[in-house]
Amino acid sequence: MQRFLDPAVLAGISSLDLLARTVVDGFVAGLHRSPDFGFSQEFAEYRAYTPGDDLRHVDWNLFARTERTYLKRYRGETNSYLTLLLDASRSMEYTSGTGAKTGVRQPSKMDYARFIAASLFYLAIHNQRDGAGLIVFDDEIRESIRPSSRTGQLHRLLAGLEQAEPRARTDFAKPMKYFQELVRRRGIVVVISDFYEQPEVIVKAIEPMRFHGNEVVLFHVLDPKEIRPELKGPAVLVDLETQQRLEVIPEYTREAYRQRMDSHIEQMRNKARAAGMDYHLLVTDQPLDRALREYLAIREGAR
Amino acid sequence: MGFLAPWFLAGVVALGVPVFVHLLRRQTTTPSPFSSLMFFERGIQSSTRHRRLRYLLLFCLRTALVALIVLAFANPFVRRANAGANGTLLMVVVDDSFSMRVGNRFEDAKRGALAILAAKPGGQRAQVMALGSQLQVLTQPVPDAGTLKAAVEALQPGDSKGSFGELGRGLRALTEMVHTPIELHLFSDMQRTEMPGNFADMVLPGNVKLVLHPASGAGAGGANWAVESVEAPAQLADPKDKRRSRVTAVVAGYATPAASKTVSLIVNGKVVASKRVEVPASGRVKVELELLDVPYGFSRCEVRVAAVDGAVDAFPADDASVFAVRRSDPERVLFVHGSGEARSAVYFGAALGAAAESSFVLQSVSTEQSGDVDPGRYAFVALSDVGPLPTILENALVKYVKDGGSVLIAAGTSTARGSGGRGRIPVLGADGVEGKYYSREGAGFAGVAQVDSTHPVMGDAGVEKDGEWPELKVFYAAKIDAAKLGARVLVRLGDGTPLLMDKPMGEGHVLLLASGLENLTNDLPLQPGFVPFVDRAARYLSGEDRLAGARVVDSFVQLRTTGAGQTASAGVEVVDPDGKRPLALAEARTVQSFPLTRRGFYQLRFANGKDAVVGVNPDRRESDLAAIPEDVLKLWAGSGGDGGQAMPSLSGANIRAKETANSLWWWVMLLALVAAVAECVVAADHLGTQREEA
Repeated sequence: MQRFLDPAVLAGISSLDLLARTVVDGFVAGLHRSPDFGFSQEFAEYRAYTPGDDLRHVDWNLFARTERTYLKRYRGETNSYLTLLLDASRSMEYTSGTGAKTGVRQPSKMDYARFIAASLFYLAIHNQRDGAGLIVFDDEIRESIRPSSRTGQLHRLLAGLEQAEPRARTDFAKPMKYFQELVRRRGIVVVISDFYEQPEVIVKAIEPMRFHGNEVVLFHVLDPKEIRPELKGPAVLVDLETQQRLEVIPEYTREAYRQRMDSHIEQMRNKARAAGMDYHLLVTDQPLDRALREYLAIREGAR
Repeated sequence: MGFLAPWFLAGVVALGVPVFVHLLRRQTTTPSPFSSLMFFERGIQSSTRHRRLRYLLLFCLRTALVALIVLAFANPFVRRANAGANGTLLMVVVDDSFSMRVGNRFEDAKRGALAILAAKPGGQRAQVMALGSQLQVLTQPVPDAGTLKAAVEALQPGDSKGSFGELGRGLRALTEMVHTPIELHLFSDMQRTEMPGNFADMVLPGNVKLVLHPASGAGAGGANWAVESVEAPAQLADPKDKRRSRVTAVVAGYATPAASKTVSLIVNGKVVASKRVEVPASGRVKVELELLDVPYGFSRCEVRVAAVDGAVDAFPADDASVFAVRRSDPERVLFVHGSGEARSAVYFGAALGAAAESSFVLQSVSTEQSGDVDPGRYAFVALSDVGPLPTILENALVKYVKDGGSVLIAAGTSTARGSGGRGRIPVLGADGVEGKYYSREGAGFAGVAQVDSTHPVMGDAGVEKDGEWPELKVFYAAKIDAAKLGARVLVRLGDGTPLLMDKPMGEGHVLLLASGLENLTNDLPLQPGFVPFVDRAARYLSGEDRLAGARVVDSFVQLRTTGAGQTASAGVEVVDPDGKRPLALAEARTVQSFPLTRRGFYQLRFANGKDAVVGVNPDRRESDLAAIPEDVLKLWAGSGGDGGQAMPSLSGANIRAKETANSLWWWVMLLALVAAVAECVVAADHLGTQREEA
């Protein structure tokens, strides 16, 4: 557990509140703002009484002073559900080794994704008392933990993360279909992947979750050397997922590859936003807390 | 150049590492895993670029680095003359004695000497010498190879007799001045006869390391016949006189089988007599020949031995022995005696007539009759117990002696003071001479105690051996102070009184006998040695022995008398066997003696105007070609320094042994370091992290 709950990372996250963008159903007061007005303890506004309203909500003190009947309305607060979809394909295993800037060992994309997931789980369950669930997938559903806020959920989630080892290829269609069966309540859906697929295919597979009223966030995790590969000379590269071999030359990586990768990221960002999803590129040499803080700040600003 | 640890050169196989890295490994690139190849395309150029030696400079530097490290482990070195070799004086001595003319001995020795000098380290000093009867210094100790080589190449075989004793003496004298270590290379035929009588004479000093180079074929010897000796008259008056014209030759064989030989007597190029003799195996035979027809003047004669049955002679150069004969009428000798004493003339005349090799006619006059005698017409003059001479005769005699004549004076009793004389010896002018009588009774007479046998008058064989003088009884002798007179004492009596003295005056000599020539003052005329003594004295005084005959190589001929140089105006003249005049004009006016270094006939003209022809023969000991035994050579070579060595070959291996191996390890490592630094720089340039391009 300590592997994921780095206190330095958590300290950065605890300073911010995780606010759900969409109002979910719930009756327990919390930090998440409900889209409906309810009967929680936070006052919101007064409304004139109309026949048929529940007399229990009439502010009798105000009636005594003004002889007018008004209903007292409160801002409702509820618990949210965080569902995290983690890509565990072989491509997530990639690491470029030692980081050129920090000098420390660069975590693989899978590790980095685990850090993010664990941080989010802890934040959601421990601080927000939200329910959280996990789906680990590659071309199949490898692990699924229903969202819950029960005691011990965090341990189960973290154990699920521990067991999630990269293998096989990525296929977004199956997990999304399963997700719709698994999650009935609306909430926040976080997809962590390297998204080595055509952006149209990805967005098309994830888009239905947005239709169900979920707030969808795409975390695009990439190694810096995936964005800016450095080859000292001609090399033979092996695809981690397909085991395909390809002889490449440095000149290509310096020019064409970068253009294509930049184009891919840009398409991902555009198409995700067009579909009402948040998209964020996380590079594994960036600090973990910084990435989360940026995301949460974005959430805060978007509220 | 060599390697101290050549086995490390096996590390050269490590050169395969850069070859592998640059040529092989790059062609078989290790596949690198990557997330996805969806954005990659195949690089078509890469396959061809793999096969190129792209980093040629880097490859060369890495190869050089590996090679230098391997070289450093192999520890290369260069041979360089060390300080010790430079400090050692290399001395090359070539034996140029007569026996080196056998076969190719001398040429081989020169080749060997040149090889030694060629192998000499550049900075080492060397000196070239020739060893004959004397050690002849040909060069000073110099490092210049050209000078040394020229000195060796200019060497010619000589006719002298080699002497290892002379080598030892020369080296001992040299090492008193030169204290550096000396490496002496001796090229010689190692002839046994060149050893001195005492082995200690040839032992070398401690700082001399002797390396022997026996000449090729030395020790094999070979049959050699030679004319060992020739006895012939130097002067001949009557060829018909068989007793005097007889030539006696001894033919000797060295390591020879019994053989028949023809011995010929050649006079002026014509064979006048020939005899066939049987020479026993390794023995000698005496041959007598007669000089029947000799013209007046000088005749150049030769006794030659030739093979009859075609037996091979290993050393033909010693098959002949030369001598010169001067034919003239018998010379007259003036014998002046006291008026009352005629016995000495009888004895002296008889002895002179009996002499085998000289022919003189004695003219005896008394003192009174000698007033108008011209001494210059006589071969020499003898004064016997004359007392005071007529002044005119004495003056004439003094001039005669100074011009080159010689006088024999027998003091007798009449010169001594107190016995009728005035105590003055004529010609010499010694005054105050007193006589001393010895008892005739028992053993009261005086005997001879000391004889200078080196003087020609005393004979080569030594009078003591012949028993001529020890039996002499002297009853009277004039007491003459030889030191005051400046005379050389030839015979001294038991009480120290000089009996026979030789006093040079001008160009001539005065032979002074302190006693008489009759049998009253001594019994010399009765002694068997009297005739040889008179014979030798007559020849010495007349100078006949200098005018003709035979000499041995390296003997000296006296051209003018000692001390006469200041006043002499007449020059001497020497014509060597080649017809050349070896003396310069300045030398001809001052030189007193001349060494006869070549075999053949020398023509001489003495300061007194007399001409002479002498035949010069090599020392016959050179004909014995037997070599020194091997154990003696080892003993000799080990006697000097840190132990010498006999070297059968003429290679310069021992010179190389003197060189030290200077390791190049540090230099190679320095180069390796430079290569390593250069490799790092070039590798950083080529293989460093690829920088982001803007």
